[in-house]
Formats: sequence, structure tokens, C-alpha cells
Amino acid sequence: MKNDGCTPRACPSSEAPVAGATAERGAPLLQLGRRPPDRRAILGASVAAVAAAATGSGCGNHRFDAHYKELTDEDKRRIFERIEAETRARTGVDVKISAPQPMDGVEFAYALDLSLCNGNRRCAEACARENNLPDVPKFRYIQVLEMDRGTLDFENANAYYEHDEVPVPGKVYLPVQCQHCANPPCVKVCPVTATWREPDGLVVVDYNWCIGCRYCIAACPYFGRRFNFHEPTVRPRDINPDQGYISNRLRPVGVVEKCTFCLQRTRVGRYPACLEACPTGARKFGNLGDPNGEVRIMLERKRVYVLKEELGTLPRFYYFYG
Amino acid sequence: MSCKKTSPTWAVAAGLAWALGAAPGCDEHDRHAFPAPPASVAAETVTVEPRTQLLPTFPCSSRCHSARESQPDKRLLTEFHTFRNTEFHHGDPAGWCYQCHSQKNIDRLVIASGELVTFDEAYLLCGGCHGDKLRDWRLAVHGKTMGHWTGNKIRRSCTGCHNPHNPTFPHLVPEAPPVRPEHGERM
Repeated sequence: MKNDGCTPRACPSSEAPVAGATAERGAPLLQLGRRPPDRRAILGASVAAVAAAATGSGCGNHRFDAHYKELTDEDKRRIFERIEAETRARTGVDVKISAPQPMDGVEFAYALDLSLCNGNRRCAEACARENNLPDVPKFRYIQVLEMDRGTLDFENANAYYEHDEVPVPGKVYLPVQCQHCANPPCVKVCPVTATWREPDGLVVVDYNWCIGCRYCIAACPYFGRRFNFHEPTVRPRDINPDQGYISNRLRPVGVVEKCTFCLQRTRVGRYPACLEACPTGARKFGNLGDPNGEVRIMLERKRVYVLKEELGTLPRFYYFYG
Repeated sequence: MSCKKTSPTWAVAAGLAWALGAAPGCDEHDRHAFPAPPASVAAETVTVEPRTQLLPTFPCSSRCHSARESQPDKRLLTEFHTFRNTEFHHGDPAGWCYQCHSQKNIDRLVIASGELVTFDEAYLLCGGCHGDKLRDWRLAVHGKTMGHWTGNKIRRSCTGCHNPHNPTFPHLVPEAPPVRPEHGERM
């Protein structure tokens, strides 16, 4: 909660952040009107806090950071440095926060060969390590559904199967993660635009802007989003120091998070962690704009299937039979 | 595709049109067009992951086979390569070592044309029977690709995933499942 040394230059409206920060710390509100803290005073403090957030000063607590889209390079540098320092103080790990930008002419898409997936969940674990997912509470972005062969019955699918060996005869496996829809219902319902679709097709969340209302979780037909009901705890030795501001940095409690196709990797040319971990080679990733890329060739030559096509969400995650 | 603006929303429809052979135009339907690939994507190099250095007993010719004559007759192997007697499950059970390995040069494989290829090029041998898989593998639709999606790709060879003597993909122990959400939590 401490102020990170915001200068008057960085905070053009110096009154507003101070009032907001005072309210945030729970200090007496009397100075606002020399009255007991009644609703009007609290409202005034709230308005000041909102004004502070709206000015984009990026000072003090993260609640006063501007929306990611409104951050200047200078704001980003300051916020990233603050997060790095906070992480170092809290966990002892030196992390590097970055925000790689979308490439021109790139739209990401994912393809998964259902005839190869054998349900070993290596993808989900690699995702957890890459994206700093907590082990307590243990949730995963990738849910591997086990279904009876020939059904594709999601109602009776089991994501919590435990076997000595996979694949089990008579079962098929279908991993589900964020589908990065081109027409995403989760983005439409967000009341504060804390989640949006980037120009390269990635649906991302601004963890500092999310208010935790979970409308997006209710709207997502694929169970692609997760909520931090508890303080996420990642063991310091498990922390991945290569962190993206809108992807895999350590999340606070009370915000929604999701798969970002490993934005911090893919925007610099690498493959997502789940793809690299898949031992069967079922996962394909590439640029939908590249006519020679594996995803386009798959789309043109294979039997392609998208989940819940009838909802019109236009997923950018294609299942195919190779 | 020099269309002025593209909308990703319609890329699926454009893909369908592309697959049907209808080239997307740049008139009012230009939003159906894909974005042009960036220059960084255009130059793509694909490297096949080498295998030879991973073989524990390579080179076969100097390690063991220099000291013994090759015996082309089929028989029960009792000293070496005994896995062949029980664990060989690939194609015709009457198959024999020299169907794929070269009898003249044990460090090479022999493909249908009689040409000798290295163990790094085993996909040429596999593709002799599994031509559809070789086609898909060359297009990166089958098999594992690593490296960078922007260009320098590393393609894992057939034998990197499949044991050529028993090519069915092995069963694996799955990772532990996630924990079910607590009562009232939807996560």
C-alpha cells in the first residue's frame, strides 16, 4: 500500500491521488470536510480515487494504475519496475516484467489433433509452470476432458480422471482451454473493459483493472477462465521470471485469469509452453495470416471441428483429425 | 493481399472460401481476407532434429558389426537385439532386419529404391509405406514442431516419437488432475 515515490510531475493532479490514497489506507477522512466520515465524505473520497485512476498517474497502489491500453511507455516502465520490486520483496525472486506488442499481420490460431491426444496432461502442467499457476488452490487453464469413444458428450465428460496409464481403451481425450474467440462473449459482458481482444487475436485481462465480478466466467461457454478465490501461492523456486504484464505475472487475489497462448513467448516468436510439452505432437500453433503455416494448411486439408460452433463465438482454437 | 483493412472476425469464412478455391477479393468483401504475413514470417527454415548422435550404440559398424559377418537368414536372435524376437511389432511379422537396415552398410538404412540413407533421414524410409503421414509431416500437420513459429522451426523426425521396431505410441502416466473446486466455487 505504500506510495512508490510518485513525483508531482508524474501526478499532475496531486490532490486527487493523495485523497484517494488516504481513503485507501483507512486514515481519517476528516481532512476532507472536517466532519465525521459520513456517506458524502466517503463518496467524495471514492470520486477522488476514481479521478486518480482516470488520470493515469500510475502512482501508489496498483488500484491507481491506468488501464493497460492507456499506459504510456513511461507509465509502463514505472509500473513494471514497481511490480518487479514488490515481487522481489515478497518472494525473493528477480523477475522481469515485459509487455511485448502484437506483430503486424499476425493473427494467432491454435490447432489440436484429436486423433493424437492421449490425455497425459503434460500440457496442463507445463502451462502451470510457465504461467505461474498456484498449486494451492490447484487449478489449471487446460482442462483435459475424458469422454467415451464416439460420444463427444461434454455433459458427462470427466476432467478429474486418475489412471495408471493413458489412453484408456474406449476413451477419447479433448483438452479445452481459452478458445480466443473472434467474437468473445466474455469481452462483451465485462462492465469495466478489463478484458479485451488484442489485434493479434489474443483475449487478455488487465489484472489491475479487473474488479472480480466474474461476469466473464459466467459468459464463457468453454470454462476458459479461472478466478482467484484465494491468495495464489507459487513456491519461489517455481516462479517463472520471464513475465508478461497482461499474461503470466503473479496475479493478486480476486481477479480473473486465463490462457493467453503464452503471450510473453508467442509475441517474440516462440511456441506456447503447452505445445512444447506435448509428447504426442498433437498441438499446432501459428499465424492464421501465413498461407504456408501449419494452421492454415490444417484448415484447408483436414476435417476441422470447433467447440460449440452454433454459439457464433468463432473460436481461434481448431480441433482436427489428422 | 493488399486489402486496406482486414477483420479477424471473418477469417474462418475466408478460410472456407480459400479452401473452396475462391480467392478473396479486395472489394467490399475485403474484410474476409487474411492479413498479409509479415516479412519475419516469410523466411522459414525447417531443420529436422538429428537422431544419429542419440543412438547409444552408433556407429554400429565399428562398435560390433566389424567383428562379425552379416547373416541374412532369419533366425531367433539369442545374443544381441533379442527384443526383436518378442517386441518387434511393425508391419509384416515375417519382416527381418535387412528389410530396412542395409546389409552392405549397417550404419545406413535402405529405402525402396535401393538408395542408402542415414538414420537422420529415417523419414524417407518410413514414408515408403506411410506416404500420407510423410506428406502431413512435411506440412507440419503431423508430428512435433519446436523452435520458433516465426521461422526457424525444428521438426522432430518419425523415430523421435515412434520406436521404429514397435511404432505404436507408448502409454503414458498422466499428470495429477486439478483439484475440484470447493463447494460454491465455480473457479
